[in-house]
Amino acid sequence: MSDHDITQTGPLAPEDVTADSPFTLPGFFDALGDGRLLAGRCTDCGTHLVPPRPACYECGSRAVTIEEQPRTGEVVSYTAVHRPPSPFSDLAPVTVAVVELDSGARLTGRVTAPVEEVEIGSSVAWRARDPDEVGIDPSAHLPYEEDWPVHEFELTR
Amino acid sequence: MTDAHIAAVGTSPLGWTDLPGRDLFSRALAETFADLPDPAEVVDALYVGAQSERYENQIMQGTLLAEWAGLQNRPAERVEACAAAGALALKNAVRDVRAGVHDAVLACGVEKMTAGGTEGATNALAAAFERALEQRSGITAPSQYALIARRYLHETDVTEADLAEIAVKNHRNAAANPRAMFQREVDVETVLDSEYVAPPLKLYDCAPVTDGAAAVLVTSERLAADLAADSVRVAGVGTAANALAVAESNLTYLEGADVAASRAYEDAGIEPGDVDVAEVHDAFTVCEAMLAEAVGFAPEGRGVETVRDPAERSPGWTDVHINTSGGLKARGHPIGATGLTQAVEAYEQLTGRAGDRQIPDAGTALLVNEGGLADAHTAAHVLTGV
Ligand SMILES: [Zn+2]
Repeated sequence: MSDHDITQTGPLAPEDVTADSPFTLPGFFDALGDGRLLAGRCTDCGTHLVPPRPACYECGSRAVTIEEQPRTGEVVSYTAVHRPPSPFSDLAPVTVAVVELDSGARLTGRVTAPVEEVEIGSSVAWRARDPDEVGIDPSAHLPYEEDWPVHEFELTR
Repeated sequence: MTDAHIAAVGTSPLGWTDLPGRDLFSRALAETFADLPDPAEVVDALYVGAQSERYENQIMQGTLLAEWAGLQNRPAERVEACAAAGALALKNAVRDVRAGVHDAVLACGVEKMTAGGTEGATNALAAAFERALEQRSGITAPSQYALIARRYLHETDVTEADLAEIAVKNHRNAAANPRAMFQREVDVETVLDSEYVAPPLKLYDCAPVTDGAAAVLVTSERLAADLAADSVRVAGVGTAANALAVAESNLTYLEGADVAASRAYEDAGIEPGDVDVAEVHDAFTVCEAMLAEAVGFAPEGRGVETVRDPAERSPGWTDVHINTSGGLKARGHPIGATGLTQAVEAYEQLTGRAGDRQIPDAGTALLVNEGGLADAHTAAHVLTGV
């Protein structure tokens, strides 16, 4: 469990940008491994940023804070990857979707159901997994990514 | 400001070839300089668009191609924005000539996509998308565009059959283009019956994996005249980078393409309705429809009418002819060279060299080249005849 203060709001100082900060990928994936999906949230315009980053792409503000995200959301768009990159071939066809969480934040991810069962508007919930358990070949990972979890979506009804 | 002109163009054969990248470049260069002095007597600098070193395990493409063109100790560099790399090479060449930094700059592009087979191309192209969440979910180029296509079909009354008609139209155009990879027509059933790559996109909705190179000589107006070249003017340039992740894209409106094209129009002092011919980035059929809307040719949701004769389109459409070359779909899509193959088609249309696909009185062309997911990077150029 990271002891990083997730109430921090930017602009970040140089010393804030460390591997235990959720504004960096190691910090973001540490939290995901602990079951917390963190988004950046622009305190000026409200835009969600997944993964969190130091500046808002919508308005340019650096007054970005960290917001824990809900577990559930809806499918905005979806497809099936019939010929995925080689480390994912055991999972083919891979169902993927863009999901809008109940907070309004969006992220793309695998869906554990066959594509025929997915529709725009389908209700889903995310969970974090160990990539080896999922069946993703370890060749997919760069050395610094090896301990990072992967998220996936399950249909909830 | 000096006016920048395109004084000469050339391409290699586009398709599956036995030539490595540097040799494909040599083919393109030989055509470009067929009626000109040696490159070393003309060219001050070189830019090369190249997507990935994964294909041939070779970076330093600027140095390599300058060497193969006999251009010793000249500025020469690679530019990269996935499939928008070719147009970025052109943009840099135009900027240098306009600014008076150089009189002549060679904009080139090269990609040897077949070097690693289908799997090699799939993996190399996947690198163009967001790494931390999207690549690690198993996405590919077709699946990223399928997420856009699915949403576009959901929000409009456009069907998969409408998208298929775009592939049919582009194959028909390519049949009249001696440079095209697929110089053959296909019917709508062939497109609809082809296998799903990432639904709703099928094999025939997708541009092919292509080997190829292109070389475009950009010069000052005066040098073009001194060379007695049949030139066209680069009247407008605009680029814009938008979001990398599909989750952060608008999905149905390509804002980055709108912004880049608007900048190019403003630079050229024209309106979308002034454009006679356009080469737009149909990496997937749905892109042609969405780009027609984003760059101001078509009303919202009606971009698929790109396949119709101008007189038969909905109100709000312009009279533009789109992808007369056959587009990425059928002319071929050698990633880093594609933006320049678009310029080659516009050059041929504006100089009356387009043969059976010539649009009469074509005077103004728009080029829209994109990299990454749709408008993740857009480079737009307006060319005019002289
Ligand atoms: Zn903001």
